[in-house]
Amino acid sequence: MDDKKAAILSEIPRLRRYARSLLRDRDSADDLVQDCLERALVRLDNWQTGESPRRWLFTIMHHLFIDQMRKVNRRGEAAMLPLEAGEAQSAPADQVETVASREIMDALQAISPDRRAALVMVAIEGFSYAEAANILGVPAGTLMSRIARGREELRGLLDDSSRRRSIRIVER
Amino acid sequence: MTRRDFTERDIHMALDGELPGEERMAYDAWLEANPEMRAKSARYIADRAALRAALAGVMDEPVPARLRQAVFGEAPARGPAWRSRWWLSAAAAAVLMVGGISGYVAGIDGIGRSDNSDDQLVEQAIAAHVIYAAEKRHAVEVPASDKDHLQTWLSNRVGLKLVAPDLVAQGFELVGGRLLPSGEHGKAAMLLYEDAKGERISLFVTAESSEAAKGTYSAEADGPQAVYWLDKGYGCAVVGSLSRERLSDVAKSAYGQLLAGISS
Repeated sequence: MDDKKAAILSEIPRLRRYARSLLRDRDSADDLVQDCLERALVRLDNWQTGESPRRWLFTIMHHLFIDQMRKVNRRGEAAMLPLEAGEAQSAPADQVETVASREIMDALQAISPDRRAALVMVAIEGFSYAEAANILGVPAGTLMSRIARGREELRGLLDDSSRRRSIRIVER
Repeated sequence: MTRRDFTERDIHMALDGELPGEERMAYDAWLEANPEMRAKSARYIADRAALRAALAGVMDEPVPARLRQAVFGEAPARGPAWRSRWWLSAAAAAVLMVGGISGYVAGIDGIGRSDNSDDQLVEQAIAAHVIYAAEKRHAVEVPASDKDHLQTWLSNRVGLKLVAPDLVAQGFELVGGRLLPSGEHGKAAMLLYEDAKGERISLFVTAESSEAAKGTYSAEADGPQAVYWLDKGYGCAVVGSLSRERLSDVAKSAYGQLLAGISS
Protein backbone atom coordinates (compact mmCIF):
# COMPACT_ATOMS: atom_id res chain seq x y z
CA MET A 1 0.00 0.00 0.00
CA ASP A 2 1.08 3.47 -0.88
CA ASP A 3 2.56 5.32 2.11
CA LYS A 4 0.53 8.42 1.50
CA LYS A 5 -2.69 6.48 1.44
CA ALA A 6 -1.74 4.63 4.59
CA ALA A 7 -1.10 7.96 6.29
CA ILE A 8 -4.47 9.29 5.13
CA LEU A 9 -6.22 6.14 6.31
CA SER A 10 -4.85 6.54 9.81
CA GLU A 11 -6.25 10.07 10.04
CA ILE A 12 -9.83 9.03 9.34
CA PRO A 13 -10.90 8.62 12.99
CA ARG A 14 -9.75 12.16 13.78
CA LEU A 15 -11.36 13.57 10.67
CA ARG A 16 -14.58 11.88 11.65
CA ARG A 17 -14.42 13.33 15.13
CA TYR A 18 -13.80 16.81 13.81
CA ALA A 19 -16.61 16.47 11.26
CA ARG A 20 -18.95 15.22 13.98
CA SER A 21 -18.20 18.26 16.08
CA LEU A 22 -18.93 20.50 13.11
CA LEU A 23 -22.09 18.77 11.93
CA ARG A 24 -23.32 16.52 14.73
CA ASP A 25 -25.26 14.12 12.54
CA ARG A 26 -23.20 11.02 11.88
CA ASP A 27 -24.10 10.45 8.25
CA SER A 28 -23.69 14.11 7.38
CA ALA A 29 -20.33 14.18 9.12
CA ASP A 30 -19.18 11.07 7.25
CA ASP A 31 -20.32 12.62 3.98
CA LEU A 32 -18.08 15.57 4.74
CA VAL A 33 -15.19 13.23 5.53
CA GLN A 34 -15.78 11.33 2.31
CA ASP A 35 -15.82 14.60 0.40
CA CYS A 36 -12.55 15.51 2.04
CA LEU A 37 -10.93 12.17 1.25
CA GLU A 38 -12.02 12.31 -2.36
CA ARG A 39 -10.63 15.79 -2.77
CA ALA A 40 -7.43 14.76 -1.02
CA LEU A 41 -6.95 11.90 -3.47
CA VAL A 42 -7.30 14.20 -6.43
CA ARG A 43 -4.71 16.49 -4.93
CA LEU A 44 -2.34 13.88 -3.67
CA ASP A 45 0.47 15.47 -5.64
CA ASN A 46 0.00 18.79 -3.85
CA TRP A 47 0.79 17.16 -0.58
CA GLN A 48 4.42 17.84 0.06
CA THR A 49 6.53 15.19 1.67
CA GLY A 50 7.27 16.16 5.22
CA GLU A 51 4.00 18.07 5.57
CA SER A 52 1.82 16.60 8.27
CA PRO A 53 -1.00 14.60 6.70
CA ARG A 54 -3.19 15.69 9.56
CA ARG A 55 -2.78 19.37 8.90
CA TRP A 56 -3.17 18.88 5.17
CA LEU A 57 -6.38 16.89 5.52
CA PHE A 58 -7.87 19.17 8.14
CA THR A 59 -7.21 22.12 5.85
CA ILE A 60 -9.06 20.44 2.99
CA MET A 61 -11.98 19.53 5.19
CA HIS A 62 -12.19 22.94 6.71
CA HIS A 63 -12.39 24.56 3.30
CA LEU A 64 -15.15 22.21 2.24
CA PHE A 65 -17.06 22.98 5.39
CA ILE A 66 -16.68 26.74 5.18
CA ASP A 67 -17.56 26.81 1.47
CA GLN A 68 -20.80 25.05 2.25
CA MET A 69 -21.58 27.29 5.18
CA ARG A 70 -21.17 30.28 2.91
CA LYS A 71 -23.56 28.83 0.38
CA VAL A 72 -26.04 28.20 3.12
CA ASN A 73 -25.82 31.72 4.35
CA ARG A 74 -26.15 33.25 0.93
CA ARG A 75 -29.59 31.83 0.80
CA GLY A 76 -30.55 34.15 3.56
CA GLU A 77 -32.35 33.36 6.69
CA ALA A 78 -33.53 29.85 7.21
CA ALA A 79 -35.13 28.26 10.19
CA MET A 80 -35.63 24.78 11.42
CA LEU A 81 -39.07 23.62 12.13
CA PRO A 82 -39.84 22.75 15.68
CA LEU A 83 -39.43 19.06 16.06
CA GLU A 84 -42.17 16.86 17.32
CA ALA A 85 -41.95 16.07 20.97
CA GLY A 86 -39.61 13.21 21.60
CA GLU A 87 -38.20 13.34 18.13
CA ALA A 88 -34.47 13.43 18.34
CA GLN A 89 -33.24 15.38 15.37
CA SER A 90 -29.68 14.36 15.14
CA ALA A 91 -28.98 11.63 17.64
CA PRO A 92 -28.86 8.42 15.68
CA ALA A 93 -31.08 5.73 17.08
CA ASP A 94 -28.19 3.39 17.68
CA GLN A 95 -26.23 5.96 19.59
CA VAL A 96 -27.02 6.43 23.21
CA GLU A 97 -26.13 9.89 24.32
CA THR A 98 -26.10 11.05 27.86
CA VAL A 99 -28.02 14.20 28.65
CA ALA A 100 -24.76 16.02 29.29
CA SER A 101 -23.33 14.95 25.94
CA ARG A 102 -26.44 15.94 24.13
CA GLU A 103 -26.55 19.32 25.79
CA ILE A 104 -23.00 20.21 25.06
CA MET A 105 -23.23 18.95 21.48
CA ASP A 106 -26.39 20.98 20.95
CA ALA A 107 -24.70 24.04 22.37
CA LEU A 108 -21.66 23.47 20.18
CA GLN A 109 -23.88 23.38 17.11
CA ALA A 110 -25.43 26.66 18.13
CA ILE A 111 -22.25 28.69 18.11
CA SER A 112 -20.99 30.19 14.88
CA PRO A 113 -19.17 27.79 12.54
CA ASP A 114 -16.00 29.86 12.69
CA ARG A 115 -15.87 29.78 16.45
CA ARG A 116 -16.87 26.15 16.56
CA ALA A 117 -14.10 25.15 14.20
CA ALA A 118 -11.48 27.20 16.07
CA LEU A 119 -12.49 25.89 19.47
CA VAL A 120 -12.70 22.25 18.44
CA MET A 121 -9.45 22.34 16.56
CA VAL A 122 -7.56 23.51 19.62
CA ALA A 123 -9.53 22.08 22.53
CA ILE A 124 -10.40 18.69 21.05
CA GLU A 125 -8.01 18.05 18.21
CA GLY A 126 -5.04 19.45 20.10
CA PHE A 127 -3.61 21.70 17.42
CA SER A 128 -1.45 24.58 18.60
CA TYR A 129 -2.66 28.11 17.98
CA ALA A 130 -0.12 28.44 15.16
CA GLU A 131 -1.25 25.21 13.51
CA ALA A 132 -4.93 25.94 13.89
CA ALA A 133 -4.53 29.49 12.57
CA ASN A 134 -2.71 28.04 9.58
CA ILE A 135 -5.40 25.45 8.88
CA LEU A 136 -8.21 27.96 9.23
CA GLY A 137 -6.30 30.56 7.25
CA VAL A 138 -6.68 33.34 9.83
CA PRO A 139 -4.18 35.36 11.88
CA ALA A 140 -3.38 33.98 15.33
CA GLY A 141 -5.13 36.93 16.98
CA THR A 142 -8.35 36.14 15.14
CA LEU A 143 -8.07 32.50 16.12
CA MET A 144 -7.61 33.44 19.76
CA SER A 145 -10.60 35.73 19.80
CA ARG A 146 -12.72 33.04 18.14
CA ILE A 147 -11.68 30.55 20.77
CA ALA A 148 -12.36 32.97 23.61
CA ARG A 149 -15.74 33.99 22.25
CA GLY A 150 -16.59 30.43 21.38
CA ARG A 151 -15.95 29.29 24.93
CA GLU A 152 -17.90 32.18 26.36
CA GLU A 153 -20.79 31.54 24.01
CA LEU A 154 -20.80 27.84 24.80
CA ARG A 155 -20.87 28.58 28.52
CA GLY A 156 -23.73 31.04 28.07
CA LEU A 157 -25.73 28.52 26.08
CA LEU A 158 -25.22 25.81 28.64
CA ASP A 159 -26.16 28.15 31.44
CA ASP A 160 -29.31 29.51 29.99
CA SER A 161 -31.78 26.72 30.17
CA SER A 162 -34.54 28.46 28.28
CA ARG A 163 -32.15 29.30 25.54
CA ARG A 164 -30.88 25.79 25.70
CA ARG A 165 -34.32 24.51 24.91
CA SER A 166 -34.52 26.98 22.07
CA ILE A 167 -31.59 25.29 20.40
CA ARG A 168 -33.96 22.66 19.25
CA ILE A 169 -36.94 24.93 18.81
CA VAL A 170 -35.80 28.08 17.14
CA GLU A 171 -38.93 28.92 15.30
CA ARG A 172 -40.48 32.14 16.49
CA MET B 1 11.54 37.60 37.35
CA THR B 2 9.43 40.00 35.34
CA ARG B 3 5.88 40.21 36.55
CA ARG B 4 3.12 41.01 34.18
CA ASP B 5 -0.58 41.46 34.53
CA PHE B 6 -2.60 38.49 33.48
CA THR B 7 -6.00 38.77 31.85
CA GLU B 8 -8.78 36.49 30.80
CA ARG B 9 -6.90 35.89 27.60
CA ASP B 10 -4.27 34.04 29.61
CA ILE B 11 -6.91 31.64 30.89
CA HIS B 12 -7.47 30.48 27.33
CA MET B 13 -3.76 30.32 26.63
CA ALA B 14 -3.11 28.32 29.77
CA LEU B 15 -5.95 25.97 28.91
CA ASP B 16 -4.68 25.48 25.39
CA GLY B 17 -1.07 24.93 26.37
CA GLU B 18 0.05 28.22 24.90
CA LEU B 19 1.22 29.90 28.09
CA PRO B 20 5.03 30.07 28.19
CA GLY B 21 6.37 27.68 30.82
CA GLU B 22 8.21 30.38 32.71
CA GLU B 23 4.96 32.29 33.26
CA ARG B 24 3.07 29.35 34.65
CA MET B 25 3.87 29.90 38.31
CA ALA B 26 3.00 33.59 38.20
CA TYR B 27 -0.20 32.71 36.34
CA ASP B 28 -1.19 30.12 38.93
CA ALA B 29 -0.60 32.65 41.68
CA TRP B 30 -2.73 35.20 39.85
CA LEU B 31 -5.51 32.68 39.41
CA GLU B 32 -5.31 31.75 43.07
CA ALA B 33 -5.74 35.39 44.03
CA ASN B 34 -8.71 35.99 41.68
CA PRO B 35 -11.69 33.82 42.60
CA GLU B 36 -13.69 35.08 39.66
CA MET B 37 -11.00 34.16 37.18
CA ARG B 38 -10.39 30.89 38.95
CA ALA B 39 -14.07 30.00 38.61
CA LYS B 40 -14.00 30.91 34.96
CA SER B 41 -10.98 28.74 34.35
CA ALA B 42 -12.56 25.83 36.20
CA ARG B 43 -15.71 26.20 34.19
CA TYR B 44 -13.89 26.22 30.86
CA ILE B 45 -11.96 23.15 31.92
CA ALA B 46 -15.19 21.39 32.84
CA ASP B 47 -16.86 22.35 29.55
CA ARG B 48 -13.87 21.10 27.63
CA ALA B 49 -13.95 17.81 29.51
CA ALA B 50 -17.65 17.44 28.68
CA LEU B 51 -16.96 18.19 25.03
CA ARG B 52 -14.13 15.69 24.90
CA ALA B 53 -16.27 13.07 26.57
CA ALA B 54 -19.13 13.68 24.15
CA LEU B 55 -16.82 13.21 21.17
CA ALA B 56 -14.56 10.50 22.56
CA GLY B 57 -16.68 7.66 21.26
CA VAL B 58 -16.16 8.70 17.64
CA MET B 59 -12.52 7.65 17.76
CA ASP B 60 -13.50 4.13 18.74
CA GLU B 61 -16.13 3.67 16.08
CA PRO B 62 -15.09 1.38 13.25
CA VAL B 63 -14.24 3.38 10.15
CA PRO B 64 -17.15 3.06 7.70
CA ALA B 65 -16.21 0.98 4.68
CA ARG B 66 -17.14 3.77 2.29
CA LEU B 67 -14.49 6.02 3.82
CA ARG B 68 -11.80 3.39 3.57
CA GLN B 69 -12.86 2.75 -0.01
CA ALA B 70 -12.72 6.47 -0.76
CA VAL B 71 -9.01 6.51 0.08
CA PHE B 72 -8.42 3.86 -2.57
CA GLY B 73 -10.69 5.53 -5.08
CA GLU B 74 -13.15 2.67 -4.79
CA ALA B 75 -16.05 4.36 -3.08
CA PRO B 76 -19.38 3.51 -4.68
CA ALA B 77 -20.75 6.33 -6.79
CA ARG B 78 -23.15 8.57 -4.95
CA GLY B 79 -26.33 9.91 -6.46
CA PRO B 80 -26.65 13.49 -7.60
CA ALA B 81 -28.28 14.53 -4.36
CA TRP B 82 -25.81 12.94 -1.96
CA ARG B 83 -24.15 16.18 -1.12
CA SER B 84 -27.28 17.70 0.23
CA ARG B 85 -27.22 15.63 3.36
CA TRP B 86 -24.30 17.30 5.02
CA TRP B 87 -25.14 20.52 3.32
CA LEU B 88 -28.57 20.47 4.90
CA SER B 89 -27.05 19.61 8.19
CA ALA B 90 -24.85 22.65 7.77
CA ALA B 91 -27.95 24.64 6.89
CA ALA B 92 -29.54 23.51 10.09
CA ALA B 93 -26.47 24.60 11.97
CA ALA B 94 -26.54 27.95 10.26
CA VAL B 95 -30.12 28.38 11.27
CA LEU B 96 -29.21 27.97 14.87
CA MET B 97 -26.88 30.89 14.73
CA VAL B 98 -29.45 33.26 13.32
CA GLY B 99 -29.68 36.06 15.80
CA GLY B 100 -26.70 37.44 17.55
CA ILE B 101 -24.09 36.30 15.11
CA SER B 102 -25.07 38.32 12.13
CA GLY B 103 -21.47 39.42 11.71
CA TYR B 104 -20.56 36.09 10.28
CA VAL B 105 -23.32 36.26 7.75
CA ALA B 106 -22.59 39.86 6.91
CA GLY B 107 -18.94 39.07 6.45
CA ILE B 108 -19.49 36.56 3.72
CA ASP B 109 -22.16 38.36 1.79
CA GLY B 110 -19.74 39.57 -0.81
CA ILE B 111 -18.53 36.14 -1.84
CA GLY B 112 -19.37 35.35 -5.44
CA ARG B 113 -21.92 32.75 -6.30
CA SER B 114 -20.75 29.33 -7.14
CA ASP B 115 -22.55 26.32 -8.37
CA ASN B 116 -25.12 24.81 -6.01
CA SER B 117 -26.37 21.56 -7.37
CA ASP B 118 -26.92 20.37 -3.84
CA ASP B 119 -30.38 21.40 -2.97
CA GLN B 120 -32.18 20.58 -6.14
CA LEU B 121 -35.44 19.53 -4.63
CA VAL B 122 -36.08 22.76 -2.81
CA GLU B 123 -34.97 24.98 -5.64
CA GLN B 124 -37.00 23.03 -8.16
CA ALA B 125 -40.01 23.21 -5.90
CA ILE B 126 -39.70 26.96 -5.61
CA ALA B 127 -39.12 27.38 -9.34
CA ALA B 128 -42.15 25.25 -10.16
CA HIS B 129 -44.26 27.20 -7.72
CA VAL B 130 -43.18 30.53 -9.17
CA ILE B 131 -44.07 29.36 -12.69
CA TYR B 132 -47.28 27.42 -12.16
CA ALA B 133 -48.91 29.14 -9.21
CA ALA B 134 -49.01 32.30 -11.33
CA GLU B 135 -50.93 30.52 -14.11
CA LYS B 136 -54.63 31.13 -13.89
CA ARG B 137 -55.99 28.69 -16.45
CA HIS B 138 -53.12 26.27 -16.91
CA ALA B 139 -51.79 25.92 -13.41
CA VAL B 140 -52.50 22.20 -13.26
CA GLU B 141 -52.67 19.27 -15.64
CA VAL B 142 -55.33 17.37 -13.73
CA PRO B 143 -57.92 19.38 -11.80
CA ALA B 144 -59.14 18.61 -8.29
CA SER B 145 -62.50 17.56 -9.73
CA ASP B 146 -60.66 14.48 -10.97
CA LYS B 147 -58.90 13.86 -7.68
CA ASP B 148 -58.92 10.06 -7.75
CA HIS B 149 -57.34 9.98 -11.17
CA LEU B 150 -54.87 12.68 -10.13
CA GLN B 151 -53.72 10.63 -7.14
CA THR B 152 -53.45 7.37 -9.06
CA TRP B 153 -51.66 8.94 -11.97
CA LEU B 154 -49.11 10.85 -9.88
CA SER B 155 -48.58 7.86 -7.57
CA ASN B 156 -47.73 5.67 -10.54
CA ARG B 157 -45.43 8.20 -12.13
CA VAL B 158 -43.60 9.26 -9.00
CA GLY B 159 -43.48 5.81 -7.46
CA LEU B 160 -45.03 6.71 -4.12
CA LYS B 161 -48.48 6.14 -2.77
CA LEU B 162 -49.63 9.71 -2.98
CA VAL B 163 -52.66 11.04 -1.15
CA ALA B 164 -53.44 14.71 -1.74
CA PRO B 165 -53.59 16.16 1.79
CA ASP B 166 -56.80 17.77 2.96
CA LEU B 167 -55.85 21.31 3.96
CA VAL B 168 -59.35 22.70 4.42
CA ALA B 169 -58.68 23.24 8.11
CA GLN B 170 -55.84 25.56 7.08
CA GLY B 171 -58.08 27.33 4.59
CA PHE B 172 -56.73 25.72 1.42
CA GLU B 173 -58.60 23.80 -1.27
CA LEU B 174 -56.92 21.53 -3.78
CA VAL B 175 -56.74 23.06 -7.26
CA GLY B 176 -55.10 20.09 -8.92
CA GLY B 177 -51.72 18.71 -9.77
CA ARG B 178 -49.07 18.13 -12.37
CA LEU B 179 -46.07 15.96 -13.07
CA LEU B 180 -42.61 17.54 -13.10
CA PRO B 181 -39.05 16.37 -13.66
CA SER B 182 -36.97 16.06 -10.51
CA GLY B 183 -33.24 15.65 -10.10
CA GLU B 184 -31.50 14.13 -13.10
CA HIS B 185 -33.84 11.29 -13.92
CA GLY B 186 -36.64 11.43 -11.42
CA LYS B 187 -40.17 12.70 -11.36
CA ALA B 188 -42.01 14.83 -8.88
CA ALA B 189 -45.66 15.48 -8.18
CA MET B 190 -46.79 19.03 -7.69
CA LEU B 191 -50.08 19.65 -5.95
CA LEU B 192 -51.49 23.15 -6.02
CA TYR B 193 -53.79 24.58 -3.36
CA GLU B 194 -55.61 27.88 -3.10
CA ASP B 195 -57.26 29.75 -0.25
CA ALA B 196 -60.38 31.95 -0.36
CA LYS B 197 -58.27 35.01 -1.18
CA GLY B 198 -56.59 33.30 -4.11
CA GLU B 199 -53.29 32.78 -2.29
CA ARG B 200 -51.65 29.65 -3.63
CA ILE B 201 -49.27 27.13 -2.17
CA SER B 202 -47.61 24.12 -3.76
CA LEU B 203 -46.70 20.70 -2.45
CA PHE B 204 -43.83 19.10 -4.20
CA VAL B 205 -43.26 15.39 -3.62
CA THR B 206 -40.56 13.16 -5.03
CA ALA B 207 -39.25 9.68 -4.38
CA GLU B 208 -35.75 10.77 -5.32
CA SER B 209 -34.38 11.63 -1.92
CA SER B 210 -31.92 9.49 -0.04
CA GLU B 211 -31.33 12.01 2.67
CA ALA B 212 -32.93 12.81 5.97
CA ALA B 213 -33.26 16.48 6.73
CA LYS B 214 -35.76 19.22 7.25
CA GLY B 215 -35.77 22.95 7.28
CA THR B 216 -37.01 26.05 5.60
CA TYR B 217 -35.47 27.76 2.67
CA SER B 218 -36.05 30.83 0.57
CA ALA B 219 -34.21 31.62 -2.63
CA GLU B 220 -34.77 35.34 -2.34
CA ALA B 221 -35.56 37.55 0.59
CA ASP B 222 -39.03 38.48 -0.64
CA GLY B 223 -39.71 35.36 -2.72
CA PRO B 224 -41.71 32.33 -1.68
CA GLN B 225 -40.45 30.19 1.14
CA ALA B 226 -40.18 26.44 1.17
CA VAL B 227 -40.54 24.17 4.12
CA TYR B 228 -39.07 20.80 3.28
CA TRP B 229 -38.52 17.35 4.60
CA LEU B 230 -36.23 14.82 3.10
CA ASP B 231 -36.08 11.23 4.11
CA LYS B 232 -34.93 8.02 2.57
CA GLY B 233 -37.18 7.30 -0.37
CA TYR B 234 -39.16 10.52 -0.43
CA GLY B 235 -38.78 14.23 -0.21
CA CYS B 236 -41.47 16.84 0.25
CA ALA B 237 -41.48 20.59 0.04
CA VAL B 238 -44.30 23.01 0.72
CA VAL B 239 -43.84 26.33 -1.04
CA GLY B 240 -45.73 29.57 -0.63
CA SER B 241 -45.54 33.23 0.23
CA LEU B 242 -47.35 32.90 3.53
CA SER B 243 -46.24 34.06 6.93
CA ARG B 244 -43.80 31.65 8.44
CA GLU B 245 -46.32 30.56 11.08
CA ARG B 246 -48.99 29.82 8.53
CA LEU B 247 -46.66 28.08 6.11
CA SER B 248 -45.26 25.95 8.86
CA ASP B 249 -48.77 25.11 10.05
CA VAL B 250 -49.85 24.09 6.56
CA ALA B 251 -46.64 22.17 6.02
CA LYS B 252 -46.99 20.18 9.19
CA SER B 253 -50.50 19.12 8.33
CA ALA B 254 -49.57 18.31 4.74
CA TYR B 255 -46.52 16.36 5.73
CA GLY B 256 -48.38 14.32 8.33
CA GLN B 257 -51.04 13.37 5.78
CA LEU B 258 -48.53 12.63 3.03
CA LEU B 259 -46.53 10.44 5.32
CA ALA B 260 -49.62 8.60 6.48
CA GLY B 261 -50.53 8.08 2.82
CA ILE B 262 -47.08 6.92 1.74
CA SER B 263 -46.78 4.41 4.53
CA SER B 264 -50.37 3.17 4.35
